[in-house]
Amino acid sequence: MQLSHNWLQHYIKFKFTPEELSEKLTMLGLEVESYERLGEKYNGFVVGKVLETEKHPNADKLTVCKVDVGKETLQIVCGAPNVAAGQTVAVGIAGAVVPKNQHDPNGKPFTLSNVKLRGVDSFGMICSQYELDLGTDKDGILILDSKAKVGQSLASYLGLDDIVYEIGITPNRPDLLSHFGVAREIGILVKKQPSLPKVRLKESKTPISKLFSVKVIDKVNCPRFAVRMIRGVKIAPSPEWLQKALQSVGLRPRNNVVDVTNYVMYECGHPMHAFDYANLKGKKIVVRQAGLDSESRSRKKFVTLDGKEHELAADVVMVCDGEREVSVAGIMGGENSEISDSTTDIVLEAAYWNPSSIRRTAKALGIQSDASYRFERGADPNAPLYALDRAAQLILELAGGELLKGRIDIYPKKIKEKIVSVRTSRCNEVLGTSLTTPHVTDLLRRLEIKKVKGSKDVTFFSVPTYRVDLDREIDLIEEVARVFGYNNIESKTISSIDFDHPFGKEILSDRIREKLVGFGYQEALSISLQSEATAKLGSPTPIALLNPLGQEMSTMRTTLIPGLLEAAARNQSYGSNDLQLFEIGHVFSESAEGQLVGSVMEEERMVLLVSGQIEPGYWQGEPRKANIFFLKGEVSDLLDACGLDSWRFIYYSTSETLADNPIFVEINGSSAGFLGKVKEDVCKMFGFEGDAFVAELKLPLLESQRVKEYKTLPRFPVVRRDVAFVVDAAVSAEAIEQCMKGGGSSLLRAVDVFDVYAGPNLPDGKKSVAFTLSLLSDEKTLMEQEIETEVRRIVKRVEQQLGAELRSN
Amino acid sequence: MQNQIAQLREEIEREIAAVTNQQQLEEFRIKFLSRKGLIASLFDNLRNVPGVDKPIVGKQLNELRQRAQSVLDEKILQLKSKPKSAEHLDLTLPGRRKFRGTKHPLMQTLDEIKSIFVGMGFGIADGPEIEDDWHNFSALNFAPDHPARDMQDTFFVKGDILLRTHTSPVQIRIMENNKPPIRTIMPGRVYRNEAVSSRSLCNFYQVEGLAVDKGITFSELKGTLLSFARQFYGKDIKYRFRPSFFPFTEPSAEMDITCFICKGKGCRMCKQSGWLEILGCGMVDPNVFTSVGYDPEQYTGYAFGMGIERTAALLYGVDDIRLFYENDVRFLRQF
Repeated sequence: MQLSHNWLQHYIKFKFTPEELSEKLTMLGLEVESYERLGEKYNGFVVGKVLETEKHPNADKLTVCKVDVGKETLQIVCGAPNVAAGQTVAVGIAGAVVPKNQHDPNGKPFTLSNVKLRGVDSFGMICSQYELDLGTDKDGILILDSKAKVGQSLASYLGLDDIVYEIGITPNRPDLLSHFGVAREIGILVKKQPSLPKVRLKESKTPISKLFSVKVIDKVNCPRFAVRMIRGVKIAPSPEWLQKALQSVGLRPRNNVVDVTNYVMYECGHPMHAFDYANLKGKKIVVRQAGLDSESRSRKKFVTLDGKEHELAADVVMVCDGEREVSVAGIMGGENSEISDSTTDIVLEAAYWNPSSIRRTAKALGIQSDASYRFERGADPNAPLYALDRAAQLILELAGGELLKGRIDIYPKKIKEKIVSVRTSRCNEVLGTSLTTPHVTDLLRRLEIKKVKGSKDVTFFSVPTYRVDLDREIDLIEEVARVFGYNNIESKTISSIDFDHPFGKEILSDRIREKLVGFGYQEALSISLQSEATAKLGSPTPIALLNPLGQEMSTMRTTLIPGLLEAAARNQSYGSNDLQLFEIGHVFSESAEGQLVGSVMEEERMVLLVSGQIEPGYWQGEPRKANIFFLKGEVSDLLDACGLDSWRFIYYSTSETLADNPIFVEINGSSAGFLGKVKEDVCKMFGFEGDAFVAELKLPLLESQRVKEYKTLPRFPVVRRDVAFVVDAAVSAEAIEQCMKGGGSSLLRAVDVFDVYAGPNLPDGKKSVAFTLSLLSDEKTLMEQEIETEVRRIVKRVEQQLGAELRSN
Repeated sequence: MQNQIAQLREEIEREIAAVTNQQQLEEFRIKFLSRKGLIASLFDNLRNVPGVDKPIVGKQLNELRQRAQSVLDEKILQLKSKPKSAEHLDLTLPGRRKFRGTKHPLMQTLDEIKSIFVGMGFGIADGPEIEDDWHNFSALNFAPDHPARDMQDTFFVKGDILLRTHTSPVQIRIMENNKPPIRTIMPGRVYRNEAVSSRSLCNFYQVEGLAVDKGITFSELKGTLLSFARQFYGKDIKYRFRPSFFPFTEPSAEMDITCFICKGKGCRMCKQSGWLEILGCGMVDPNVFTSVGYDPEQYTGYAFGMGIERTAALLYGVDDIRLFYENDVRFLRQF
């Protein structure tokens, strides 16, 4: 919210500089985000008077002027056609920054210096409206009011000697959404109470009730509705002081009546509305729900004063006249009853609305107005009468007219000050302070929270109705802390620390992360929101957002693979082709009920992506390129490093949407994910060129359940024997390995492939696969004959079962 | 004879010094120490030496042979320690490298924060990213229809299911399933319906902290966070706590430290204020305790939270937080 320094001074006197005030308000919880000295950009500009002019000796279009700027008379060369002696003008003196350069296509600012123009010295510049950023006129210099004091700063001539603060007001403090509200907080700082202007009104003899009536049907959503009426006003533009005041807080002046209602809102915080009496049919107001159109039974249409048409749900609370809706209650008035230039009689409204009703309606209609902003946070139900009177006073001053006698005030159930008790002991327990009851009482008194009664520890306070955020003891304890000063509360650590980390101190994902970094992978993080098409790559039932930022971010990710493909493509475009990336993150999909949250399946996964070379270039030999066996090896290393009980690869001949010939991973009997080469069309989808290999695994399954236990080391040496078989090309290495393991006794400890060959010397459709067998006995050193028997048995089985032939050489 | 011995001794010393490779070494051995070598031939001549001199000359010859053998042995060792063809081995060639992996800068930042809190006795917990209204808002004392809900632009899924807007729902899950005392931090990814720009993203990381016990005070909250800030940002920082508003804490505060870039003088990073906001915090609101079935009269607690992107951006001087999600390896390798 924007607040004016000068305006604040109307309610409380303070001598803080803008820096000091910003710091002090920030420390009270009103975060001053920035402040601007409005006149700052006119530093170095003054009001001057052109004393005499003469033609430039060397240039037809230039004029040499003598200009009085108060302290001195300057010679200035001016190019404007309209310059003439006797004019009061705006003069920029060397060092001043001209806000807009007329000769620059973008109007960039420039700094003035003393120059020679065609041989004549010029000690400043007479500026145009455009140059001063006061309008669009570039054709000549700006002529000021002839009565303006020569030598005064341009800022003060323009009435810009104010400072505007941008303050972030938290949603619990609607009472701060006005100058008077912030003045109350300044009151804490200067230990004084601010005061609102006194209002004295001259009423006519005609009572308002003669000409107007109000009926509130929806009493729940409209606890209070008050009006005053003025006849015979003259609608006109507001005087300069009012226009400037509104402009300083970012509002556009309209006319004297509307401006006054806005002014009063920014003064005391209570939103108001003014109706044109002539347009209120039946000379009354009825507050009721919109209902449906009586003929069509469909939603009614209503045009607000910003010219937008809205469809009204039946339960929207509306201010109506005798026949129709005239205003969306507490949010925005209607076009059909707004103040126009021909308005003469006005009805002023100041009401109090139920905050949640306002918020629902404002959301549903998509309107946010100054009024709705305040009412949905909670206005002061006891402020309307002051607001009405104050507005009436100002309108009478500025627009004339006759104020009818009295007010109509429908307020069946008065909302009283809340009584809240505070235990001093509790206050100290929460804050860690040792405040006394009188001290607590005194701190709260500075917020106009007054002691009603009290015993030793418990004090009852009455809370002003504008403090909608204070209901409970803890709320007042916070206020005690705020006024006492957060920084006056000692920082200490005393409580008993439990050392046993009951929620764990290490997370599986962190351990996996460490391992993959050790393997040489770069960690990536991708946005979790994707297009629906991308999400469907990972699951047929992705989770869509109701209010996405756009199509490209409409769905939750179902797999981590697209994120890395996108990253890989981006890196390729920068010339980084050799990639080893990983990411750990959550994926989501729709699933059967019985999940933690609704029917959302949420799962933590890890993904690897490799492409290009798998090692940096080296001066000996060719660098190796990524392929499926490299990735398979990496996955094997990772799973071994995780210390899993059991895991294996499974080779189904099924297809994956993302990968060709996927290899599946099973960990402790559960399906854990897959690895494979990304399909060409999928790569294309993300703009990736070449081969990418990916592995995606369910992270929780990588948690080792294994209990580490020592086994006696073998006392005898291991013996190795190599065998090679010629088999049909279709026979898998795994099948041969399984077959060998089946044929071997307890002596056979490991079988490892060391060579695969197909080509010359072998018949077509055959291949040779060579294995190293590791044999070991726990009881003795194996004799050559025992080894021979074991190997022969294994070979025989492979020959019989797989039609293999032992390769002799 | 003795002259010959002396000459030979000189010759041995001279020649061994000139030996630089195996071949010369072998030549040296054959010349002096082989069965037909020069020393052996002198031994052969020993029989021509007069009897009186024999023991002396014999001794001198033995010494000569020992000397030749010892310089030879020495040379062998010397040559062995030198690589073969040392003159052709270019040791300036680069070594064989592997690609170097790096942890994401956001995770590095998070790691540092985690290790500080773990050191202070905090556990680590996590929770789901898709949440329900109860855990994300209602249980955290966000009243229905209250504008406080607008502080966090929310992505909705359907019904009361939404993307969590902060890590605070993990507080609720922890308290629903555990009895006090509780002392844990909760890192994780959160979502806000905000247009992507250099300063905001639709998803980011937060770390949340929660401590609940009997006798926990605002004073202790300050002490704990001050300790964290000193460990993380440096011992010499100045700090301040200023009032703020979060529905789930009361009193609520924001913690600022002096800007470590301009040392408090005011710069672009701290928006000329000299202060950097590093975290939000406060005492757990009694309504939150009631939501999870704790007795607010018995227990007090504090909670705090900070954004990892912002913290990392400050630490590393990254001026566009989108870089954290572009996964450009030239960026990632800088950390």
